[in-house]
Amino acid sequence: MRLFGQKPANDYTIVIGCGRLGATLASEVSDKNGNVLIMDKDSASFRKLSPSFGGLTQEGNGLDLAALTDAHLENAQVLLAVTDNDNTNIMLAQIAKEVFHVNKVIVRLYDPERQTVYANSGIETICPSLLSSREIDKILVPLPQRPMASATSVAI
Amino acid sequence: MNKKILLIGGRSKAKALATSLLQSGYEVTAINASTQDCQKLAEISGLKVLVGDGTKPYILEDANAGSFAMAIALTSQDQDNLVCCQLCKKLFHVQKTVALVSDPAKRDFFHKMGIDSVVCAIATVADVIKQHALVDDIANVLPLGSGQVQITELRIPAASPAVGKKLLEINLPKDIIVGCIMRDNITMIPRGDTVILANDKVVIISTQEQQVPAIKELTGRC
Repeated sequence: MRLFGQKPANDYTIVIGCGRLGATLASEVSDKNGNVLIMDKDSASFRKLSPSFGGLTQEGNGLDLAALTDAHLENAQVLLAVTDNDNTNIMLAQIAKEVFHVNKVIVRLYDPERQTVYANSGIETICPSLLSSREIDKILVPLPQRPMASATSVAI
Repeated sequence: MNKKILLIGGRSKAKALATSLLQSGYEVTAINASTQDCQKLAEISGLKVLVGDGTKPYILEDANAGSFAMAIALTSQDQDNLVCCQLCKKLFHVQKTVALVSDPAKRDFFHKMGIDSVVCAIATVADVIKQHALVDDIANVLPLGSGQVQITELRIPAASPAVGKKLLEINLPKDIIVGCIMRDNITMIPRGDTVILANDKVVIISTQEQQVPAIKELTGRC
């Protein structure tokens, strides 16, 4: 992303999906003075961004190659695929890796079963239900006797 | 030989494809997320139907996806077709995966991601229209190898500059094979000294780029 003729920024993050998670992530990057662009199909979702958000917003479909090119995905170091649809996030992540060669790709997957399939494909996956169950495990079991945290999902 | 085929998603597409495959002797199972669509599909005799989201591993497990020779993803969403085929390949080792793709720009990407066959309805229709807009007398264009090889059957009109000439005299682009010539119900495999006559039906094998120049040389039309 060229800013007034400077060399391309080397800390450019793109977030696809401006839900609660996307908005929080984008606002955080922006607060730390990083370069960030957040994309969502619905421009109304950008209201979730913090008032001090200093990054770019783009209304568009993350699966549209033209929209990703417009956002200069090829210059991004990090892509966060956090739409509300697992399959969209998976496809987005793979497009980012294979077509745009983005270095770091992080995906939020709701379905723990899918996470195991994609865990080792160069894409980092975050599964909210697994993370939540680990945290709740820690609360339920008193500290000294705590067994190794297991990844069994507790229905949330 | 394993003749089991798994269809995921689609509504009328699944119905049409299932019927055709069953008639050809395949064992077909269809997975569909909508109970209503499943009920319609269940009306087809011989078709096994399962309600569920074909992009969820446990649904594919219930369907015993590992036992199928081929999985065909027919949903209207490219990303669902992608994930479904990848799960079938990675988790269940289904040999052949086929995905419907609505965005022509994504065809190469799908191939890269390990999907064996990619069908883009829009691109196919566009190709057919382009072919037919060219010359009326072209019949039965058969694309092979993802559209890079074309087998074209054309009728040589009387006014064609090629009439009366030997094959080797005609200025055909290189790398064209004239496969056969059909004349008065006789089919012959031509050689360089075979003479082209008016109303001959000529079958040529060519690449996509050379098809139009070849047609021009043989029929005199652009």
